[in-house]
Amino acid sequence: MNFPTELKYTKDHEWIKDLGGDTALVGITDFAQSELGDLVFINLPQEGDEVTADESFCDVESVKAVSDVMSPCTGVVEEVHSELEDEPQMLNEDPYGAWIVKVKDISAYGELLSAEEYEAFVQK
Amino acid sequence: MPDLKRTQLYDVHVAAGATMVDFGGWEMPIEYPTKIVAEHLYTRHACSLFDVSHMGRILVEGPEMVPFLQHVLSSNVMALDLNQAQYAIIPNENGGAVDDAYLYRFEEDRYLLVVNAANTDKDLVHLNEQIKNYDAKMTVITGDWAAIAVQGPKAKEILQVLSGGEAVTEPMKNALNTLQFEGRTVRVAKTGYTGEPIGYEVYIESAEAAWLWNRLIELGAKPAGLGARDTCRLEACLPLYGHEMGDDPEGKEIPVFAVPLAKFAVSFSEQKGDFIGREPLAKQYEAFKRIQNRDFSDLTELPRKVMPITLLDKGVMRAGMPVYKGDKLIGYTTSGTMVPYYRHEGEGLSTVILEETAKRSIGLAIVDSDTLEDDEVQVDVRGKRLKAVIPPYHMRVDAPPFARPILYRPDEEAAAPASGDRGPKALELIGRAIENHVWRQEKCVNLIPSEMSPSRAVRLLCASDPSFRYAEHKKVKSFYDADVFYYQGTEFIDEVEQLLVEEMKAFMGCAEVETRCVSGQMSNTCVFSALMDWKNRLNRKQDPKRLGYIMNNHIIKGGHLSAQPMGALHDYIAIDPVTERHALVNFPVLKDNIYKIDVEETKKAIDQYRPEFIIFGKSMVLHKEPVAAIRKYVDDMGLQTTIMYDMAHVLGLIGDYFQKPFQEGAEIVTGSTHKTFFGPQRGIVGVNYHKGELKYGLWETIETRAFPGSVSNHHLGTQLGLLMAAYEMNQFKDEYQKAVVSNAKSFAKSLKAAGLDVAGDPANDYTETHQVIVSVGYGTGPDVAMRLERNNIICNYQATPEEEGFTASGALRMGVNEMTRFGFGPAEFDKLAQIMADCILRGKEVKEDIEALRAGYTEMKYCFTEEQVASALNELAKKSGI
Repeated sequence: MNFPTELKYTKDHEWIKDLGGDTALVGITDFAQSELGDLVFINLPQEGDEVTADESFCDVESVKAVSDVMSPCTGVVEEVHSELEDEPQMLNEDPYGAWIVKVKDISAYGELLSAEEYEAFVQK
Repeated sequence: MPDLKRTQLYDVHVAAGATMVDFGGWEMPIEYPTKIVAEHLYTRHACSLFDVSHMGRILVEGPEMVPFLQHVLSSNVMALDLNQAQYAIIPNENGGAVDDAYLYRFEEDRYLLVVNAANTDKDLVHLNEQIKNYDAKMTVITGDWAAIAVQGPKAKEILQVLSGGEAVTEPMKNALNTLQFEGRTVRVAKTGYTGEPIGYEVYIESAEAAWLWNRLIELGAKPAGLGARDTCRLEACLPLYGHEMGDDPEGKEIPVFAVPLAKFAVSFSEQKGDFIGREPLAKQYEAFKRIQNRDFSDLTELPRKVMPITLLDKGVMRAGMPVYKGDKLIGYTTSGTMVPYYRHEGEGLSTVILEETAKRSIGLAIVDSDTLEDDEVQVDVRGKRLKAVIPPYHMRVDAPPFARPILYRPDEEAAAPASGDRGPKALELIGRAIENHVWRQEKCVNLIPSEMSPSRAVRLLCASDPSFRYAEHKKVKSFYDADVFYYQGTEFIDEVEQLLVEEMKAFMGCAEVETRCVSGQMSNTCVFSALMDWKNRLNRKQDPKRLGYIMNNHIIKGGHLSAQPMGALHDYIAIDPVTERHALVNFPVLKDNIYKIDVEETKKAIDQYRPEFIIFGKSMVLHKEPVAAIRKYVDDMGLQTTIMYDMAHVLGLIGDYFQKPFQEGAEIVTGSTHKTFFGPQRGIVGVNYHKGELKYGLWETIETRAFPGSVSNHHLGTQLGLLMAAYEMNQFKDEYQKAVVSNAKSFAKSLKAAGLDVAGDPANDYTETHQVIVSVGYGTGPDVAMRLERNNIICNYQATPEEEGFTASGALRMGVNEMTRFGFGPAEFDKLAQIMADCILRGKEVKEDIEALRAGYTEMKYCFTEEQVASALNELAKKSGI
């Protein structure tokens, strides 16, 4: 299981990568994809949608079930990784490369964990 | 996970890194590190293993086991022969399902009932309550025998390694067998829950379970978990208890007939007596029939039914989502997910399965019974109404060895009818016909055993004047059975027909011949119709009784459509009220040569079924049929059985070098006149009934079933051609028949020597007919036959008696008859065998070699070639403007 140190994590198993200037990339963690199994569908938000920390902004479906993806921050969707729509398995293959959205105008964050804290959290 | 049960293979799953979950009280693998999508796809293109040892296995035995099972199951247990399995519902008193189950009969005196793991305890409570009234007992053997499902197109070849090459089961679905896998006893069923056309479930003693699992993996199978099992069964539209059976998402009990499979699983045979749920099920069945006929006036017994559903918008359906048609709630999804599949390209038999994969969002839904295929509906996917449609199915399995995903596509609009000047089209048609004629007649080596090029004389006569005429005629008793013709201008054809009858009587060696049937299959239909009419002749005041039991060659063992219920027997064969199946019994075949009837086993079957009609003959024919032995047995038994030999393929071989059917005791011989015989395409019936015998009446009935029963116009041109063919045959049969049989034997030996796998008995040089059968590898028959066609070798691919159907065929069927007629002898067939081995085994392009070989043999043999005949034919061609 991989926990890159440059990222921050949520207890709902999302990661956020600070790009500076109130923008960040958001995705799901290696642990999340492994628990979900084969991802076969993603319901993406649209550019310009407002997202709110700790609220669902997207859902992913595995063969087995659907899961909400919670936003780690409050802001506005600047860009959507639309390739995922056709190839949701990228989330399984490269969870930290397969970002879901780029968020701008970030005004607030939810509770974020460091890599070390998140690793300890999932190993509980 | 405390308190969960573990199967015999638990350690194997954990060692393989499986994710284990609670499934019906069992700790089971949901997926392996390969994950569901890859496991699903591997099942569809190769072979997966599923541990199904958690399912409840109950042995039922005792003097009253059958009445007990008839009472607690929906199916007709009397229809279950030894080594067969059947799907059944365990119904409750309300016409709902306690569970669904599979009943296996591996042994004469015991049945194995397999039920859902999560329902086993509940089922046992229900069944134990019932068994009290019967002298029978149940033993749970779930812990004693493990069960491994081996599913996918490679399953058969993998299991055959373990069986040492022995056929694992008969190729039909639900066939069972008990055999040895490397010294261990296994029970194998051709059943499964993935929808795979090539799928087996193997039962083995618990101690050997891990050995078998690991051995199967060494041989190329991969483990798959319950996740892939669920996506596979969903794609195959197989119901799952708790989803499509049991209670629906509104909490109402789902009636058994809401599931389409119920039609096959429920029997109302008298044999079943007052079984549990009979009354409500019978009401459901009446409603089911009305609904199928689109009478939706009363849906009370069956308000909703389970149908497949495909999402057209993007998204994923899950069980329990509301389904709407317009604004009306019509039901709920019962199962749904995103299922992967391999893309394919090309059409028909040329369809190629690609490596590229895709996914589709499919499910099952329980919807109002007036919902129709192709109805557009919407599914409420977490608050969003998404567009969906009701497809006929998600997958088909009638082109084995692969299960074929069927993607929803609306019917394309038909192309507008062509318009404009037909002149150029006419010219093009002629040009193409010339091209085709030259290719088939001069450049190709034709090995199709059911074809024959006729001589020039036959062809010219076929095209001359009678071919445009009518000559209906019928024997009239008032005129001492003289034939009375309905039209004038028919004197010539009348004479031709009488001459033809005499020539054919002489050739076939029988008392009477009917020549008016225009195909072999029509000849059979005539005979079957006449037999049924004859059977009912003394009582015309009620519906006529059909024929049964009938004994024939199974289609998969070389029998032809023209003697099968799906073919010419369709309207004439009875249903056995006990088994509710066609009153048909197939000739048993020898274990070590599946192309030969097993006479001793056949006698036992005759004892058991006392058939009223026996039909010898087949289209994949290497050996003589045991007519004399069976005739003697039937006579010794004092049976009134009618014996017929359908000699479609071997009509031209009747005589010293093959068989004399009437001398051996056949009463009726049918045939087609254009396979080993020299004629144009027609049929023939000969009988050995003489005036004054009781069965002469059957002969007269056959005549009336020919006319007016089957033909009004009996194609007078080809009848004239057939007379010439009969002259040729009676003149040249001795040399021709001898050459055909020796060429076939010689060709078979050359093919064998060239490294090909030739079927049949080596003691007979593999064949006693014109046919040679070569195995080219399971499922590769169509590809090899197409490659040969590209190289101007025309033969047909054929499923062997061990294969599931034509798309799975692994054999080529060839006949030497036509090329023998063009003058091929052992040397030419040996050369041909070498060329074919180069093409089949080494992928060599051999078109030029074939054209060179064929070029020396374009002149027809075994026909009249004298100068006088040739010039008369020129005159005929000129006068008739051909």
